[in-house]
Amino acid sequence: MELFTYLLLSGLTTGSLYALIALGIVVVNKSTGMINFAHGELFMFSGFVAWMLHVQMGMGYLPSFAIAVAIGFALGAVTNLIAARPMRNADVVGLVLATIGLAFVFRGAARVIWGGKSDYLSFPPITSPDPVTIGGVMVIPQQIAVLAGAIVIMLVFAAFFRLTRAGKMMQATADNAKASRLVGIRIDRIYMLSFGTGAAIAAAAAVLMAPLTLLYPDMGFSFFIKGFAAAVLGGLTSLPGAVLGGFCIGIIEALAGGYISSSFMEVSAFIVIMFVLVLRPTGLLSFGKLRQV
Amino acid sequence: MTLFGRRNVLLALVVIAAVTPFLVNDYYLFIANTILIYVLLSIGLNVLVGYTGQLAFANAAMFGIGAYTTGLLQVRLAWPFWLAFPSGAVIATAVGLAISLPALRLKGLYLAVSTLAFAQFTQWTFLNWEAVTYGAGGFKTPPISFAPLPFSKEIGLYYLSLLFVVVLFVLAQNAVRSRFGRAFVAVRDSEIAAQSLGVDLLRYKALAFGISGFYAGIAGGLYSALLNFVSPEGYDLFQMVLQKAMIVVGGLGSIVGSILGAGAIVVILEALRAVKGVQEIAFGAILVGFVLFMPGGIAGFLKAKLRGWEEPLHRTQGDTPPSSTLVTPAEKSEVRS
Repeated sequence: MELFTYLLLSGLTTGSLYALIALGIVVVNKSTGMINFAHGELFMFSGFVAWMLHVQMGMGYLPSFAIAVAIGFALGAVTNLIAARPMRNADVVGLVLATIGLAFVFRGAARVIWGGKSDYLSFPPITSPDPVTIGGVMVIPQQIAVLAGAIVIMLVFAAFFRLTRAGKMMQATADNAKASRLVGIRIDRIYMLSFGTGAAIAAAAAVLMAPLTLLYPDMGFSFFIKGFAAAVLGGLTSLPGAVLGGFCIGIIEALAGGYISSSFMEVSAFIVIMFVLVLRPTGLLSFGKLRQV
Repeated sequence: MTLFGRRNVLLALVVIAAVTPFLVNDYYLFIANTILIYVLLSIGLNVLVGYTGQLAFANAAMFGIGAYTTGLLQVRLAWPFWLAFPSGAVIATAVGLAISLPALRLKGLYLAVSTLAFAQFTQWTFLNWEAVTYGAGGFKTPPISFAPLPFSKEIGLYYLSLLFVVVLFVLAQNAVRSRFGRAFVAVRDSEIAAQSLGVDLLRYKALAFGISGFYAGIAGGLYSALLNFVSPEGYDLFQMVLQKAMIVVGGLGSIVGSILGAGAIVVILEALRAVKGVQEIAFGAILVGFVLFMPGGIAGFLKAKLRGWEEPLHRTQGDTPPSSTLVTPAEKSEVRS
């Protein structure tokens, strides 16, 4: 039982990060109908930026967080400009290959800029590293901090989406791009805003996660595929679905790692993604909806 | 006359490839052999992605399955190379056919992601199924010998690869200009229209996946013999992007383009071998640049600028003398004038 609650908690923690990555993927897909295959690399790159600010330049955690999120937003907008916008009317092969090409540019750049230091960088924890016991359950404060931070980011994002003008315009574009253009919404700007917002959420996830694990240039893809698994589980256009999917993937992964074998942790998300795509391509939260042709 | 037409250039390339072992040292022979292996990979991938339009990311995994099967059958069961090599190709083909089943339900992005997940799963199996695959360290394969023939291992393997490239190139070229190729293109351009014309989607998608699996399996077996070593890193995501870059640079939907693309990318790869980060930046940038600015690749450029590079999807009707099956309409009209 103790093992179970421990695994559940660590599953929730990593799951909250997957949920944030999935949220970024869904925000982009919802309003532009595209998948940004460089999403994981934007996540990784922003994490490295935060590391540079916090560890190398000695800035505080919160200012580094804010700057990394801003840079993440800018990189997302750049991705839109270079790889997505020219490809909007091209076929899906071109779009996927262009964003994958960009992903490799980011990955190579991270390796060239920060890779000299044995490739694995550690980020100092923001809370005390000693575990504490709450109600008989052993808890690492850092995990609680990550979980709380992720939930705060989700709430902030939900508020942005519901309450601000920009958020409402994004929703309108997602709903019907043609009609929103007719009422005077500048679609190009909304697309850029969506890519930027998606990447900013990924950047926030990276800076939250950094104290929990090590940073390395190849981490982007494995987080992307797990975030994508979460997004697919939620149906790719549903924001609550993405969050739910993220927690599901995190918990499945933690339980598979704890009860079967630790090497199963890496692979469980891939198995989930293959099964969900083949058996239920519309996701968990959709019932009886037709699949797009 | 089309002196620099596709056919003459290809013949010249084959002649150059045939005399290469007598002119260069071992290192360049190794590079040349690598190019031949990548030509096989990108021809197979181009049939799947360029002609049939199935955006699959499992080719590196099938390449790895071919290499692992060939290597493991030799090491674990002490099979000779001549038996293990075709078995590797058969198993890679079978895996390719198996992947085509989900592909029938998925398209575009969904297919891309599910095959990516499959590729990562294969990579994970290579790494973690240590009882069979020797895990992350990989394993050495026994050196092969061409005993009755008067060849060293390097030269023998080079000519074996060249033989496969020539045979499988002609095979692919003929396949894409037959009703199979037209069916592939129909599936790519519109599945609904293809179906209404009586193209069996299941059969042709499975065929395209099977072809790419077969080519990747052959390439994998040759690659394991070339390196005498098999390890998981060789068949990862970077490998996949490399192959994608080859067909994009060479030209999607062009068998000749696969040859040009594979050659160009392997040469750039060798030139940048020293720094992995720079290699990644260069390949990413090449991929983005070609997708944005030259979507037809090198082959598309040549088709537009030079006579005799057209690749029609059918043979010319009427007179087809056996010696000139490659004559294209443009060449014929020139002969007449």
